[in-house]
Parts: sequence; C-alpha cells; structure tokens
Amino acid sequence: MDKIELKNTLPEVFALRDDIQSDIWHREVAFERGHLYLVEAGSGTGKSSLCSYIIGYRDDYQGIICFDGKNIRSNKVKDWVELRKRSLSLLFQELRLFPELTAYENVAIKNNLTGFKKRRKIEEWFGALGIGDKMHEKVGRMSFGQQQRVAMIRALSQPFDFLLADEPVSHLDDENGKVMGEIMMEEARAQGAGVIVTSIGKHIALDYEKTFRL
Amino acid sequence: MILVWKLLRQHISVPQFAGFFLANLLGMLIVLLSLQFYCDVAPAFTQGDGFIKSEYLVVSKRISMVGAFNGRSSSFSQADIREIREQKFCKSVGAFTASQYEVSASMGVEGMGYMSTDMFFESVPDRFVDADTENWHFEPGDPVVPIILPRNYLAIYNFGFAQSRSLPKLSEGVVGMVDLNVRLRGGGREEMLKGRVVGFSNRLNTILVPEGFMDWSNRAFAPGADTAPTRLIVEVDNPTDDGIARFLQEKGYETEDDKLDAGRTTYFLKIVSGVVMSVGLLISVLSFYILMLSVYLLVQKNTAKLENLLLIGYSPWRVGLPYQVLTVGMNLLVFLLAVGFLVLLRGYYLDMLLLMFPQMEVEGIWPSCILGILLCLGVSVLNVYAIHAKVMAIWRHKG
Repeated sequence: MDKIELKNTLPEVFALRDDIQSDIWHREVAFERGHLYLVEAGSGTGKSSLCSYIIGYRDDYQGIICFDGKNIRSNKVKDWVELRKRSLSLLFQELRLFPELTAYENVAIKNNLTGFKKRRKIEEWFGALGIGDKMHEKVGRMSFGQQQRVAMIRALSQPFDFLLADEPVSHLDDENGKVMGEIMMEEARAQGAGVIVTSIGKHIALDYEKTFRL
Repeated sequence: MILVWKLLRQHISVPQFAGFFLANLLGMLIVLLSLQFYCDVAPAFTQGDGFIKSEYLVVSKRISMVGAFNGRSSSFSQADIREIREQKFCKSVGAFTASQYEVSASMGVEGMGYMSTDMFFESVPDRFVDADTENWHFEPGDPVVPIILPRNYLAIYNFGFAQSRSLPKLSEGVVGMVDLNVRLRGGGREEMLKGRVVGFSNRLNTILVPEGFMDWSNRAFAPGADTAPTRLIVEVDNPTDDGIARFLQEKGYETEDDKLDAGRTTYFLKIVSGVVMSVGLLISVLSFYILMLSVYLLVQKNTAKLENLLLIGYSPWRVGLPYQVLTVGMNLLVFLLAVGFLVLLRGYYLDMLLLMFPQMEVEGIWPSCILGILLCLGVSVLNVYAIHAKVMAIWRHKG
C-alpha cells in the first residue's frame, strides 16, 4: 500500500459543528509511503478516531478514506485481517497489551502471525529500550512507560507500509523517547514505510516532513 | 496458537464445563441407549420367519362352544374363500390342506431309545413358502419328504421332555441332520418314507410338507376324502391395515398368528423408546444450552482480549478456533464415552435378552453409533457457528 487519502472525512460526532478548524477533517489529505508525518491535536479533536478509522476499527465518519484509491468502506473482513497483518501497524494509545502474558509473549503473539522478526532482534530491542530484564515479566505488573515500550516493540514486529504511533512517548522520559524514536525510524526506513505520529503536546523529536493540526 | 490459548483460557469455568459435560454425556447416553435397546429388542418380536413372509396371515374360523356342539363346520367353503379373495386388502389366498390318512413318525438315535408318535401333515401352496425350491420339493417316488416344524415343538422337547427324561437337548442343526421314519397308512395301503426337517417356523403352528407331497399322498391313501380347508393363508398388502382386523372380526374369523400381538408389543416398545429418547434429547438440548451459555459468558468476559487479537491482525476464525476446538473436542469425548458406556450397559441386558430369546440374532451397535455421530456433528456445527457469530459480533462492536 502506497497511499492513504482522506477526502472530506469528518467524524460523525462533529457533523453538527460548524467551527471545525482542522488540517485534516473536511479536507483532502494524503499520507504517502516513505514519509514521516506528525499529527498534533488537542484533546477531543478526534485523534484516536482518526487512528480507528485507518485501522478499520470504526467507520462512524462522513466522507471517504481510500487506500491506494480504494474506498475502505468496501473492505471485507479478510481484507482488514490482511491489512492489519502485513500493511498497517498501529501503536495504540491505550496500548491494548495482554496483562496475563509476559512482555515477550505479548510481542510473540503478534510476531507469530508472520514470523517477521527473529527472537534475537526482539531481545535486542528490549535491551535497547532498557527493559531487557523485564522480558519475562507479566505486562500487568509493569509501569505504563514500560508497557509503552513493549507496545512499540510489538508494533514493529510485523511487515508494514504505514506505522501509526498514537502518542507513543506520553509516559516516557526524553532519553527513552529518543531511543524509541530512533528504533522506530530505523525499522520504518528499512521497510520503506510511512510513519504517522500523533501527539497532544509532548512528541518525539524527529525530522517530520509535514505537520498537521487536527 | 499456544499463546492464544493461554490468553483465551482465562475465565474458563471448570464447574460450568463439567456440568455441560456430564449433562451432555447423560443425554447422549440415554438417546443412544434407547435407540440401541429398541434395535436390539424389536427383532425378538418382529423377527421375520424364514419360511413365511410377514405379509401372510393365517386365518381360521373361531371354534366356539356352540359350534363344537351343534357340529357347525369350522372349515372354509368355496364361497368363504371367494369372499376373502374379493377383499381389498387381499392379494392372494391359499388353503391349508390336511392329510386325510394316518401318519406316524418315529425317530431312533442310537443310545437314546426309540420314540414314536402319531401325527398329521398339512400343506399350503408352495408359492407361500419361502424355502429353497431344491429343498422344498417332492415327486412321487422320492424317498425323503421335507418337513417344516413349528419352533415351539423343539422348545417343548428341549425344555420339557428332554429336561425331565435327562435326554440330550437338540439344536436346530442337529434335528436337521436326523432322519425321521414316517409311516403313511390309509385306504388299505401303507408306506414308509424318510422325513427330513428342513427348517423351523415361529409362525406356522403345523407340520408343513410340500404341496406336491400332499396331493400325491391324499390321492394315494385317502382317495375321495373331503379336503375342505380349515385354515387359509392370506397374502395381504399391509398386515397392519385395520380393515383386516375389522373384516376378520365381522366374519368371526381369527388369525392364529402372533403377528398382531407382536405388532402391539413393538408399538409399545416404540412408544417407550420414543419417550425415553425424547427425554435424552431434551437433556442433550439443555446441556447444549448450558454449553452455549458458558461459551457466551466466556467470550463476553474475554471480549477485550478477543478484540485486541482482532486488531493486531488475527482473523475472526483464528480467534474463535480455541473455543471451537474446546467445544468440538468435548462433544467428541462425550460421544466416545457415551458409546463406551453403551457397550458396557448393552452387555448386561444382552445376556438377559439372549436367555429369553435364544434364537435372536444380535446386530451391531451401528444404528446408535450413526445417530451419535449425527448428534455430535450437529451439535458441533452449531457450536462452531455460534462461536464464530459471537466473534463476528465483537468485530462489529456488538458483542
């Protein structure tokens, strides 16, 4: 997949508002593979909605969203399964990890779908993000910041054309945020993928090619 | 897959599943057992007779007290026969022809003494007898007469006579190998022949010989004697037709056949088995309901996990698979256990049945196995479908 386009897209909950000031809603916007975008948003401006629409979790919007010119409303269940497995990776704001599993198992359950990353690579990431000693700890017992790093590793353990990172560093210190940004970009470049980072203030310092205000 | 299972087995309620398992096992066992019992027992009553097809009824006139004293004939006139032939249910009628001369039979087996008895023969048209034409055949001049005996006779001998005289019991096979000496006397003639028992019948209370033999012997030993039949054999379309019973009642005829009794017993057996099976099915349905509730509850409790799995790229089928495997596996296990218990329980009652009906042929447990497989399959398909539907509801956020 090379291109995500939003054409006059607007969350249905905003349909009755007439004061929409946004670079994305009700506009023609395109995200392209191989580029890095930042979406800055205040609370309640529909940032998580945007991620949900793109990942196919929700479809309560007006207008059109296209992947490579194909309206995603026509996607079947198996299309979405394939997209989530091989083309779209999302680091959820609410992480969506499984607290009953260990940190490593949380990554493995994703990686097992495609067998994309070797175990050694995953362990390397754990080490680089400073949670190498937590690999076999249940995620439920880890801090939110630690969980955020596990979620990032999971998001990278799949082939993708676009990576959506929904507030990836909200609970990380600058040092860890920087390392995470480096790892993310390294993997995205290796895959030639596009990256869309959202933030409500604090964001990883990266060379964003374009910044949208939501 | 192991990880997915590790995740989704959370919240599995062992008591609920054990409850389903036991209830389903009980239901399945009752269903299978009632069917199997019916299949095993019914033949004891309805067992076809090797020689007389089930569409044949043996009809005689009722012998009443009055009739016995005023000498009213119990034989059928030509008009009677014609009337029966004209009935709608009747396909064809044959008369029993009785021997009109003296018959005595003796049997000598070394070391067993010598037994002799007066007796009689009867015949029906050969087309009513379902025996090998090669065996069931007599030409004047043949030294051996084929004979069909009522099975009761052998039972009377074995359990009455032989028991009290400490004589050896005879099987049907042995009797078939022994030659009887048959002496025919009448019309000033006497002749010795050999008789060979070619079979036993449950449904004919008479000593049956081929038509050809009867024609020849009556001509030879009792020329000119009256041979009006006292019993008729009637081929009907459907022996359970109640028009037959009405006609017989009206005319004062009776069938000496136990067919109607057997019919009633089978009917009763069918009803009882049906009721028991319905109870079993009801239990099965309820247990299925318990299972579905448990699975729904489980899916409900694990909704967040299932949703997360779907969002990271698991397909609905793959997410539902652990629960589907779990339920189908339990169904299979229930089926296998039910068949195991069935075989065990059947062993007990079969021994008893074989004591009561020694000639009964024991069939396999295929009927109940097939029913069990169908049940198991049906329930499994429903389970698989219901679980998938539930996962799809989560996919659409309606779970």
